[in-house]
Amino acid sequence: MKKHWWKVLGVLLVLYSFAMGLLTPLKTGILDAQPASVRAGKSVTLLVTGYNSFYTKNPKEIRAWLKMDNERAMAAKNVEVVGDRDLKAIFDLPQFLPVDKKVQDFTLILDSPTDGASVLPSGVFVTQDSIDKTAGEALWQNANISGLHEKAAITFPFRNILGETIRNTYYHVPLWFAMFILFIAATVTSIKYLRKMDPNDDAKAAALTTVGILYGVLGLVTGAIWAKNTWGAYWSFDVKQNMTAVGLLIYCAYFVLRASFEDPEKRARISAVYNIFAFSTLIPLLYVIPKLTDSLHPGAGGNIAFGSQDLDNTMRMVFYPAIIGWTLMGVWMAHLVFRAGRLKRLLLEG
Amino acid sequence: MDRKQPNDSTMFKAVKKALTTFSLFLFPFSFLVAQEDADFMRSMGKMYVVVAVIAAIFIGIVIFLVYLDRKLTKLENQINNHQNG
Repeated sequence: MKKHWWKVLGVLLVLYSFAMGLLTPLKTGILDAQPASVRAGKSVTLLVTGYNSFYTKNPKEIRAWLKMDNERAMAAKNVEVVGDRDLKAIFDLPQFLPVDKKVQDFTLILDSPTDGASVLPSGVFVTQDSIDKTAGEALWQNANISGLHEKAAITFPFRNILGETIRNTYYHVPLWFAMFILFIAATVTSIKYLRKMDPNDDAKAAALTTVGILYGVLGLVTGAIWAKNTWGAYWSFDVKQNMTAVGLLIYCAYFVLRASFEDPEKRARISAVYNIFAFSTLIPLLYVIPKLTDSLHPGAGGNIAFGSQDLDNTMRMVFYPAIIGWTLMGVWMAHLVFRAGRLKRLLLEG
Repeated sequence: MDRKQPNDSTMFKAVKKALTTFSLFLFPFSFLVAQEDADFMRSMGKMYVVVAVIAAIFIGIVIFLVYLDRKLTKLENQINNHQNG
């Protein structure tokens, strides 16, 4: 049992990521505000639909704002709670807005002591009949958004398009991290093979690459399912999707190469060299090219991955253990493949 | 006609193998087809997308287990042949 502690640890970490990742609720969010498009100069009643919200708990203390930019926001005249998930926010819109645009988008912000603050980015579009910036500035009654509450519970962030799928951060993303770690390990064993010429190292590299490809394919499949329901298509020809597909094909060619040699020593030597080459192409494919162009993925095309926007501290508590867990599980799987391969070699030799 | 028996059994094996491989590849896809119903997938805050992702990972690991199982079966057969022959 002592020898197997890392396998137990891997399983426990993955189990923990399943339990924590699935049981922790999301923060309160705003699903929808109707009408989404209103005219300036009128009193407008927004019907707001909340997510994971408990508006009836303290209906008197709920506040609402329409935020235009970092300095300017207007407060709701009145907030009427209809149900736990429905409320009406009434705004008196001025005749003119202090902008040079005909249509201005506003971010709806709600604050409640039980639920904390929730946001619907660009939730309401206000159209003004004519543009008069100075009149708009004179009419504007600015409200300070202050005293926002935090929900007093362990929660994951609510993002409008993502919804509950933010949890896929613990199931889709760690597969890629674990794949990369397995490929690093495979490359290191390949280098070790070229130095020491121990056939076990070659077998280890091949086993680690097998599991790495399994993780990569699973990463593509889980990513496609996630993309279908958030980006709208299984495959959007996003640069990161394309480049990972190319990277995985390069790694698949590793096994085609291995199958094409009869002589085990020649196979081991050439595939070790190829493995180093494959890994060295993986870094630009996965981490350089996607950063140079526009991408839907966070962490590419100017989006900063793992900023507070994508991953808060509660999420980190699940995300990092998931990476370690899947890596250990992957090493375990690779170890099984390696042992099966070693038995085969012993059989052929004996 | 005399050779019908062995032919049938090899064909049966080949068909069985083809079907198994095919169904293994089909499995994840059946899942993608099942989630064509976007309304269902996007109900409950898109929670079923997470369910589908976890199920896909599970299926992937099962496919890996089948691969390993076959590899070991082949080895066992080799060992058996080795001992018998």
